[in-house]
Amino acid sequence: MCEQIKVQVKNLTKSYGELLVLDNVSFEVKKGEFLCIVGPTGCGKTTFLNSLTKLHDIDSGEILLDSVPVNLKKQSIAYIFQENSVLSWRTVAENVALGLEFKKKELALTKNEIKKKVRDALSIVGLLKFENYYPNQLSASMLQRVVIARAFVIAPELLLMDEPYGQLDINLRFRLEDEVVKICKQFNTTVIFITHNLEEAVYVGDRILILTNKPSKIKEELENPLPRPRDVTSSEFIKLREYVTDQIRWW
Amino acid sequence: MKKRKTNIQWERLIYGGAAILLFLVIWQILVKPGSAKFATPLEVGEFILQHITTKVGPCTIWGHAGWSLSRVGVGYILAAAAGIVLALLMSQSKVCNIILHPLFDLLRPIPPIAWVPLAILWFGIFEKAKYFIIFIGAFVPFVMNTYTGAVRVDKKLIDAALMLGTPPRTIFFRVVFPAIVPQIFAGAQVALTNAWMTVIGAEMARATEGVGWMILKGMENADMAQIVSGMAVIGVTGFLIAALMRWLEKHLIKWNVRER
Repeated sequence: MCEQIKVQVKNLTKSYGELLVLDNVSFEVKKGEFLCIVGPTGCGKTTFLNSLTKLHDIDSGEILLDSVPVNLKKQSIAYIFQENSVLSWRTVAENVALGLEFKKKELALTKNEIKKKVRDALSIVGLLKFENYYPNQLSASMLQRVVIARAFVIAPELLLMDEPYGQLDINLRFRLEDEVVKICKQFNTTVIFITHNLEEAVYVGDRILILTNKPSKIKEELENPLPRPRDVTSSEFIKLREYVTDQIRWW
Repeated sequence: MKKRKTNIQWERLIYGGAAILLFLVIWQILVKPGSAKFATPLEVGEFILQHITTKVGPCTIWGHAGWSLSRVGVGYILAAAAGIVLALLMSQSKVCNIILHPLFDLLRPIPPIAWVPLAILWFGIFEKAKYFIIFIGAFVPFVMNTYTGAVRVDKKLIDAALMLGTPPRTIFFRVVFPAIVPQIFAGAQVALTNAWMTVIGAEMARATEGVGWMILKGMENADMAQIVSGMAVIGVTGFLIAALMRWLEKHLIKWNVRER
């Protein structure tokens, strides 16, 4: 893995009124790294992602992407929200094409190329035959797959995922975890992945960042040296998962 | 799937038709022919058939329905344009909201018919006054629904679009407006019902033609068949307009229509 630093978070502080949510948080994410952030409910994990993407203003600190402040116009960041964010008036294919519509000039894409990219992305998440369906004809898990396809189709340099598999059944979750890791590694995409599920964090993450309760600080940063593909039943996997569990047992 | 849908449509038609038929039969049995207090369905049917070609006052039943519909059309279109624009202004601009919302809340509870005297004073006794009253009746639901829809657009949709590179200046047309189309449609249906109710009131207050005029003249002449025929025309026209709106909704915003 390349050791180039992709994301730098320096002394990030964020509060809502008098409630301090993130307290002087600093860390770095390497290019192509799959970083998992785990922490108790309401500790500010989502706030962190929203701050990174400038959807929320921060009180103090700095967030740099490739050593420059985040600029959504110039940098390609995809964000998969916890909640459904599919546009109900667009078909599945039109939803997936949304990001490409604004990048077609920049990437010199023709309509046919966009269509092909959309179909490739839909094929990865197993929704190719639903491309002309409207969101109200799909289940919650299918909608989340549309969002995943929509994020990947723009080949983001940074992918933010906020508990993206919370609404999916376990089989699909396993399949998508594998698919997402595979695509991210293939394209060397940097990922910041938020989850409550510790097993999931150990399964997908190259590194795990454990946050404390509010106001959040970093309790521990943990390298995950397990080789891929990972076996959740292996003794090394179970040992690491139990270690992470021990770190958060006091929540 | 398609066959099942067709079966359901037939079931609706058969059961709905049977209910209407039963209603007419009970009505016919309960009302004494020639009664001074009500007309039988047969008397109403006869009146309507007779006046499809011969005039009731200045025009046929078609003519009266046409007059009322044209008044509704003008008032309704003006209300739609003004109501949607005002609601969007209030929802997108804090300053507009602070200035206009209290004023709208103050005027909203006033029934359209209460504006009749002022409408006559301001616009005279002819068409403009009726347009104005219908406008008032349809305006409120357009504003209410559009405004509520616009302020409740899921912020996640806007965030998602921004994250995917949608220029902020185009968010309104790309996300906010499409998201509220179903609410505008819901408001349009309520507005149409209001407009149709208001035109009858306006015509009963002052008119020389229209369905409202037909009912009022029927009352003056103690002609029960004419009164109930006017009511029947209102009912059937309202039913057809509602069906048209449902058809439009199904075809224009098919992404919002679930299989029912």
